Amino acid sequence: MRPPSPSIPEKEFLFSALKQGLRLDGREFFETRPVTLTFGPELGWVECSLGQTRVLAQVDAKMIKPPPERPFEGVISIHSEISPMASSEFELGRPSEEEVTITRMLDKVIRRSDVVDKESLCILAGQRVWHLRLNVHCLSDSGNLLDCACLAGIVALKHFRRPDVEVIGEEVTVHHPTSRAPIPLSLHHNLYCFTFAFFSDTSIHPVLDPNHLEQRLNGGLISIALNAHRELCVVQKSGGVPLEPADVLRIVNVAVQKAKDLDVIVESRLREDWEGRKVEVR
Amino acid sequence: MTLDLILSFDSLSRVDGSARFGFGLYPQYLTSISGPIEVRLASEQPSQSTIEVHVRPLTNVPGTESKKAAVILKEVLQMEVIMEANPRTLIQFVVQALVPTPNVTDELVAAMINCCTLSLLNAGSVPMRGVICAVSIVRLSPVKGEIPIYKVHLTEEPIPRLEATGCFAFLFSDSVSSNTYASSCIWTNWHSSYSGSAKAVDEDDLVRARDVARSAAREVWDRMKLLIEERERPKIAMRGSLVKNASHEMADAEKMDVEEDDAKMEI
Repeated sequence: MRPPSPSIPEKEFLFSALKQGLRLDGREFFETRPVTLTFGPELGWVECSLGQTRVLAQVDAKMIKPPPERPFEGVISIHSEISPMASSEFELGRPSEEEVTITRMLDKVIRRSDVVDKESLCILAGQRVWHLRLNVHCLSDSGNLLDCACLAGIVALKHFRRPDVEVIGEEVTVHHPTSRAPIPLSLHHNLYCFTFAFFSDTSIHPVLDPNHLEQRLNGGLISIALNAHRELCVVQKSGGVPLEPADVLRIVNVAVQKAKDLDVIVESRLREDWEGRKVEVR
Repeated sequence: MTLDLILSFDSLSRVDGSARFGFGLYPQYLTSISGPIEVRLASEQPSQSTIEVHVRPLTNVPGTESKKAAVILKEVLQMEVIMEANPRTLIQFVVQALVPTPNVTDELVAAMINCCTLSLLNAGSVPMRGVICAVSIVRLSPVKGEIPIYKVHLTEEPIPRLEATGCFAFLFSDSVSSNTYASSCIWTNWHSSYSGSAKAVDEDDLVRARDVARSAAREVWDRMKLLIEERERPKIAMRGSLVKNASHEMADAEKMDVEEDDAKMEI
């Protein structure tokens, strides 16, 4: 059931605090909440939390026959239905506007921006390709589910290792992980998504990584997906409140810096986790 | 016999209670509960609360296996929750699998039931009749001798010489002291894994299996109580027993204060 809108005192308090340059949880305007990545026992399982917002992502792969119009590429499918665990305002079977936005953004960030090299997923042209399935489960919605979901998806893809395959002529042999070490996916780049909320009072500057209250009271959201090499992949603005071009450029510059910082964090966490596992003997 | 379990309370921010549970080394399920909350007009019941259970597998959309698990859980939870206490409300459970579960086997059903119980204890907002703990039991054909062996089954590996299998759920309510307890078996799906009549299940067999299950479920219950004790009084749980005795005295003194307050509040 949809909860009622925030009360008028809450609204007025938030707006007057923001006008004075203060956020209710004490962060700076362009500061994100702390990112925590927890990896599971299986490869390709990661639980990502951005403050209180939590998302679980898992990747698995199976072999299928490719569609006839694209015989040389693998297939990637993303499943991201939000359950009432994230909040009781989400109902199964009836996607809310936010859920539709997340699904479309995940599709743009992970599939259409060519993060995964699809041709490397081909095993035997026209007959066997890998079908990667990314399952995203939103566990808790405390604002900015979108950024958390995109981050969890990208990190899960980076963490995943697919079984090693040997092709001799027309024969395909899939090696078990215990006989041959599984190999990582071939990724073109790492995309990170940053969401900024802005408000109907245009004297308030946009805030990065809105928490639950800021997201409920926003006048518009702008999400930017980019990689650490300053390449923009997706820019999505929703909500009716107009935004100045100067503000948009400032937001992009902030996002570029944040992407570099986040990339460092993600790589170091992946390295830490890899050292703790015994996947291959060299 | 010590069971290999992992159980913990979680801290999901938008629901009333959440917990993780798993047989073995890793949590198998994460359950959240919200309740009593507002219910849709269509599912409202005039004299009791409505229980809604959603089971979500890790991979794929929920299918028939999830639906079967949800029906079982709803039946079991209706015996645990006092439904008449909050009429015209909704108690919503979401059970999220953390490991791939292509078939919902008996030990997974037992893990789901235990996980739901833990999340109810974490929430504290839903009145409960007791605590329901479940385990899965298998019967193996005897190697030598005539008595078949009953064993608690925790992992998903296939078992040789399997004759019958099933999950038992027990409702525990404390009576006078912690040494005596009343437990009743409220649900089971004990069934033979052979179709012939030679190795069928009969009443005596069911009673024997239930007794083995009862002691195993008691262990699960003890672990749950230990988890709550650790949460309520983390310092006491870490120190030795000397301090534990002193704190029991303090706890008794606190209890007396509370009772005095209650007595004063009675008009």
